Amino acid sequence: MSGVRRFPFWSWVWFALGVLYFVLPLYATLDFSLRMERGAIGFKAYQAAFAATSYGGFWPAFSLSLQYAVLTIIASIILVVPTAYWIRLRVPQARRVVEFITLMPFVVPAIILVFGLIRVYSQPFNIPFTSIPLIGSLTNSPWGTGILMVAGYMILGLPYMFRSVDTGMRTVDVRTLTEAAQSLGANWFTIMVRVILPNVRTALLSGALLTFAIVIGEVVLASYLGINSFGPYLFLVGQHRAYEPAALTFLTFLLTWVAMGLIQLITGGQGQAAGAH
Amino acid sequence: MTEITVMGARAKLPAPSWRTWLGVVPFFLFAILFLFLPSGRLLVGSFFDDQGHLSFGNILELVEQPYILNSYWLSIRISAVTALGGGVFGFLLAYAVTIGGLPRSLRTALITFSGVASNFAGVPLAFAFVATLGRTGFITALLKTYFGWNVYDRGFSLYSFAGLALTYMYFQFPLMVLIMAPALDGLKREWREAAENLGASTTQYWLKIALPILLPSILGSMILLFGNAFGAYATAYALTGGTLPIITIQIGAQIRGDVLHNPGLGYAMAMGMVFIMAVSLAGYSWLQGRTERWLR
Amino acid sequence: MRTKKLVFQLFTLSVVAAAVLAACGPAAAPTEAPAAPTEAPAAPTEAPAAPTEAPSAMDQLVAAAKAEGTLTTIALPHDWCNYGGAIEGFKAKYGLEVNELNPDAGSGDEVEAIKANKDNKGPQAPDVIDVGFAFGPSSKAEDLLMPYKVSTWDSIPAEVKDADGYWYGDYYGVMAFMVNTDVQSKVPEDWADLLDPAYKGQVALSGDPRTSNQAIQAVYAAGLANGGTLDDPQPGLDFFAKLQQAGNLVPLISNNGLVAKGETPVRITWDYNGLAGVDSFAGNPKATVVVPKSGRFAGVYVQAISAYAPHPNAAKLWMEYLYSDEGQVEWMKGYCHPIREADMRARGAVPADLAAKLPDVSGALFPSLDQLNAAKTVITGQWDSVVGADVKAAP
Repeated sequence: MSGVRRFPFWSWVWFALGVLYFVLPLYATLDFSLRMERGAIGFKAYQAAFAATSYGGFWPAFSLSLQYAVLTIIASIILVVPTAYWIRLRVPQARRVVEFITLMPFVVPAIILVFGLIRVYSQPFNIPFTSIPLIGSLTNSPWGTGILMVAGYMILGLPYMFRSVDTGMRTVDVRTLTEAAQSLGANWFTIMVRVILPNVRTALLSGALLTFAIVIGEVVLASYLGINSFGPYLFLVGQHRAYEPAALTFLTFLLTWVAMGLIQLITGGQGQAAGAH
Repeated sequence: MTEITVMGARAKLPAPSWRTWLGVVPFFLFAILFLFLPSGRLLVGSFFDDQGHLSFGNILELVEQPYILNSYWLSIRISAVTALGGGVFGFLLAYAVTIGGLPRSLRTALITFSGVASNFAGVPLAFAFVATLGRTGFITALLKTYFGWNVYDRGFSLYSFAGLALTYMYFQFPLMVLIMAPALDGLKREWREAAENLGASTTQYWLKIALPILLPSILGSMILLFGNAFGAYATAYALTGGTLPIITIQIGAQIRGDVLHNPGLGYAMAMGMVFIMAVSLAGYSWLQGRTERWLR
Repeated sequence: MRTKKLVFQLFTLSVVAAAVLAACGPAAAPTEAPAAPTEAPAAPTEAPAAPTEAPSAMDQLVAAAKAEGTLTTIALPHDWCNYGGAIEGFKAKYGLEVNELNPDAGSGDEVEAIKANKDNKGPQAPDVIDVGFAFGPSSKAEDLLMPYKVSTWDSIPAEVKDADGYWYGDYYGVMAFMVNTDVQSKVPEDWADLLDPAYKGQVALSGDPRTSNQAIQAVYAAGLANGGTLDDPQPGLDFFAKLQQAGNLVPLISNNGLVAKGETPVRITWDYNGLAGVDSFAGNPKATVVVPKSGRFAGVYVQAISAYAPHPNAAKLWMEYLYSDEGQVEWMKGYCHPIREADMRARGAVPADLAAKLPDVSGALFPSLDQLNAAKTVITGQWDSVVGADVKAAP
């Protein structure tokens, strides 16, 4: 048996089945969204959806969510990658606790999280035993609320980002890489940025994509923190309509897909077997 | 079987100094500040009753009420089924586009699509499946027109456990693909070639080399899929609303509804979910320890 | 080398993203309706140096509200009772901003939002709430509300308001059937008709009876038509059990999209929701709303001001607006029966065309609070066993 790839029959089978499963419901949504005009196929639902001016309209809401997504992804990477690295390399004892923490966002409903955040951070933190405020009430300022949003989104995306990065690091032999880099005289920062990060790029991409999708579609956190992002916008426009929600669903799907394609393009593609040298 | 000590794997690692623990402090601090403190503020309400007096009544109700136990069991079942099913087919998809030999462009398409689909849930997802496989869905109509099969008369219903599981797969498959694709990338081609040089068949290669290497990652992804399904709420509510009372819907009923209920009980149920997650994690950690033994 | 490329690419991405976002969206920072007033704080405009005529209470309220500049609302979907129109009308009339929090919140969420924001004067704290009848007294008991009696207080019927002014009914509707006549031309006239085999797999509620006011009241209403009374909701449960066994009940949570799709051609919902939905269809599909002949059940919602409202004067002004003839008419445009309807009809303040559009709901029964609470306990407690799926059945 040679290593030459014969026609990958089964790969095509799995892929075709996957395509079938994923595309059919989308097609059904698209089909319904085009039928707002009685007896005709047309874009009336799309026009109606765009005409809505709640929260400033489609594009402002979408771009606000985009900004949050980028911020969340960057902050998540900064938090998660060193942590996963450290756990793997130096403190394996902490692994179980960390994994438990990363699975907690699944069982804490977003509505509990948001009300908790508001309760805790609507009061200023005073220096203990005084009434001098160290940090003011976060919810009272736009940037403070923004911090809460980003933190909340990081929490929501934590399971996915951590699992992605951890899997990526398992695949790459971080111990050897680190030892090699150290023997060449690199400090921790250099190791992290120039050795580890590039090697877990595909995993980072997965985590980034997952986080991005979460932030774009998120409703609960945004709507209770009073931020007019895309999720609340979709809700407000489509809640009680018939055709507009389907149109918005399909459109959002396409837009998010394009955005993800751009992310992938800019981060230099994928597929190089990490560490296959 | 003799314990073969692979380099450092079984050796006891030196207890890390306090300075090494500093490395994980940011993470713990973040989790405390933005996860435990806020949710704890509310979840502590599970220890209070309606009138605000300290009581364990809510916790006791968890184990006393059959409907609550049934809900937990239902949630566990649907999470396990979709974690397994999603894991298996997601793995096959990931395999197909990484080392399975499909064109590179298809990989990009699938990865980016998976990113979007991983979060496609709730009312839009339910509607999409209703429009496909509901009574007036176009596949249902197609099957009736071209094959003469009336699937609903034969007992199929989208609004059942099976239908919900099928719908859940829409975000489970992509999640598995996204996590496993980088792991599959790590299967070095040299290993395959070496195995083939030594006369291994494809099956042997997979059973003895590839799957053991991938098993920790597969397990890790599956626990993620399990958690993902366990915490899902909106899709189940939209699709099977009153009839499949998974625990997240019960919690929603107590905390969120239009009807006066007992939020303390809802918080207690959420604590119960935390407990189940912890138990699942313990099981997974044990399995993980066994499979990762010989990997560094 | 690869790292330099990576860093450079990240940098490019950030620059591109920043440029795109700057071009696309006006909001560069996550801002909310500004906490600072948008209107210049003004002394009452009619305060002359030598007061010959004191400014009216209403003018003072308007001025104080304008000084606050914003109103924060919660759980007000635009298509529900034409809240969209009411909000726009309020904004246009007084020049205030309206900061709308989660339009999908349930009554429980609204109450929890008040509790969570007790110490918060930011834009996350709701000023006013619109909740189910039972939530009025319970919120008052938890000290979450601020009393206020609008100037038209006396024309609000006594059974639907709190004597001390903490909460007050705002509108009501009657449980009805919304029917997609393209899919199902046989329109049910009454509850009993729903058991007809013609409706197999076609009837759906608009919520989960454990969670949703609408769904619980639907069960309650069905009971009224099947031998039950306001004190005995059990026949309602039995009716739905029969509906389930006949295979007519679909477990889907129905909404307008599903009605239009034809998947749930018979939706049990408030008459105003159905009528607003039919309007939004604009003939595609053809649909109609039927108020059942027997078993007419009226559901009342109540308004209240949060005790911790950051903008109490704006909140009071909002109430004045809603309970003025103008505000009540806005609700009518959404097919809701405003609470002052009897008074307005008596004075001829209802526009004739609107009056004609409102469905005939004579004979509708209004449950008291005690009856509601008792019914809720029965229905939510027994729904699973009477109607729900057998959870032990194999998948």
